[in-house]
Amino acid sequence: MDAVTGWWDDYFWGSMVVLQVFIFSLLLMVLFGLIGAAAKLSDNRVAQKISAAYTVIFRGTPEILVILLLYFGSAIFLTSVAQVFNPEIKFVDVPPMWAGTFAIALIVGSYATETFRGAFLGVKPGSIEAARALGMSNLQTFVFIRIPEMWRLALPAFGNHMLSLIKDTALISIIGLNETFFVAKQAIGTTGEPFTMYIVVGAIYLGFSTIITLTVMGLEKFGLRTTEGAR
Amino acid sequence: MTNSASETLIEMQNVDKFFGTFQALKNINLEVKRGEKIVVCGPSGSGKSTMIRCINRLEKHDQGHIIIAGKELTDDVKDIDAVRREVGMVFQSFNLFPHMTIVKNLMLAQRLVRKINKVEARETAMHFLERVKIAEQAEKYPVQLSGGQQQRVAIARALCMKPEIILFDEPTSALDPEMINEVLEVMTDLAKEGMTMICVTHEMGFARSVADRVIFMDAGEIVEEAEPEEFFKNPRNERTKKFLSQILTH
Ligand SMILES: Nc1ncnc2c1ncn2[C@@H]1O[C@H](COP(=O)(O)OP(=O)(O)OP(=O)(O)O)[C@@H](O)[C@H]1O
Ligand SMILES: [Mg+2]
Repeated sequence: MDAVTGWWDDYFWGSMVVLQVFIFSLLLMVLFGLIGAAAKLSDNRVAQKISAAYTVIFRGTPEILVILLLYFGSAIFLTSVAQVFNPEIKFVDVPPMWAGTFAIALIVGSYATETFRGAFLGVKPGSIEAARALGMSNLQTFVFIRIPEMWRLALPAFGNHMLSLIKDTALISIIGLNETFFVAKQAIGTTGEPFTMYIVVGAIYLGFSTIITLTVMGLEKFGLRTTEGAR
Repeated sequence: MTNSASETLIEMQNVDKFFGTFQALKNINLEVKRGEKIVVCGPSGSGKSTMIRCINRLEKHDQGHIIIAGKELTDDVKDIDAVRREVGMVFQSFNLFPHMTIVKNLMLAQRLVRKINKVEARETAMHFLERVKIAEQAEKYPVQLSGGQQQRVAIARALCMKPEIILFDEPTSALDPEMINEVLEVMTDLAKEGMTMICVTHEMGFARSVADRVIFMDAGEIVEEAEPEEFFKNPRNERTKKFLSQILTH
């Protein structure tokens, strides 16, 4: 383990990068999932088709490919846009952090689309009718009845989506994101101890995923307290 | 609130209702005065639920007029909300909010719809829970209660809104036989206190002892309408006779 000594701070900052990518991709993932689900549930044919295409494409291609295509694709796109204004520009560099965050949020968001859609449909129509019959408005019914019942239904699958996200952050090292995996590769270069260096990466990811798992378990316990035996 | 006994609370005039091309209600005419108790019966699919669901606009009628406590039901959301405040509803499957305790189930709409403060809403909730003899379950969740208890909670939840009218859609038909009476008792008490009620049920004992009028529906129409005595002794229509012979031999 001596070999790791000089690398702790790099691993620490790498972990912070993982955390940052996780948080932003989580927010985006929820957003994409909600939009996707709303589109699938809407009466609009075009919106349904677009959302269907979204889930087919992002669930059906390798994640690493999506990250690469999005990174280079957006760079090429932005370069050509920039050249319209200034022909001197040769290449616009897209920050790997943001390209990567966006890419994994899109990927996992395609799974979340199905989760949110299922949860929406899983809420018993009886609760909704009862709320309407009591004079609650559409908005009140949505906020006080549908959302609280939805998140309980969505939670188990949503926990898996969060684990996917945290693991997918490791893939972003391929486009040069300075996270733990990237740190390990550098450290191996100088120390020649791949096993040790990767074990540290493993421990870091395991730490993150354990926190996520425990959080989800806690929330599930809270949620199920109210519906024990009901499903 | 005027209290003249003859005041009309519910008026349905020539109401038609379609689901696609299927006509679920055909030319329904019904008048219910304050304090009246109406029992509605009829074979499955005859439109009983659809009729009472039109009264609080859970279904939208296609033709005719529905006037509740002087307000006509139109597409105007304000009127619909006003009507829903006056009309309570109790469902066959209870429909309590599963994620809330019993007392919270009773408080939610009071707070959101009636804008009543927390303390008062809780007091009202406890008052009605006591009336349906279930106050000790206030902090439990719906799944922890038996069907009969859940249905009594649902009735209390409707009462908390201080409605003028309560609609019951087969409130006992999802219950085990031993729980039916506890719910019917609550409903009978309500009737005695003068609540205006429309009740879809096949509990003929309840109809006999409580109803002012019994309505028989078939194929989307009101086929027969009479006082219970008359209804059970001398049904005039052939379809009523057939229906009664079926359910009374059970
Ligand atoms: N949302 C709907 N869409 C299409 N058809 C419907 C809908 N709701 C009811 N119907 C049809 O309308 C008719 C009347 O239904 P309704 O539920 O009012 O009958 P009911 O008398 O309450 O029967 P039950 O005793 O089974 O509850 C039935 O043929 C039913 O299939
Ligand atoms: Mg029915």
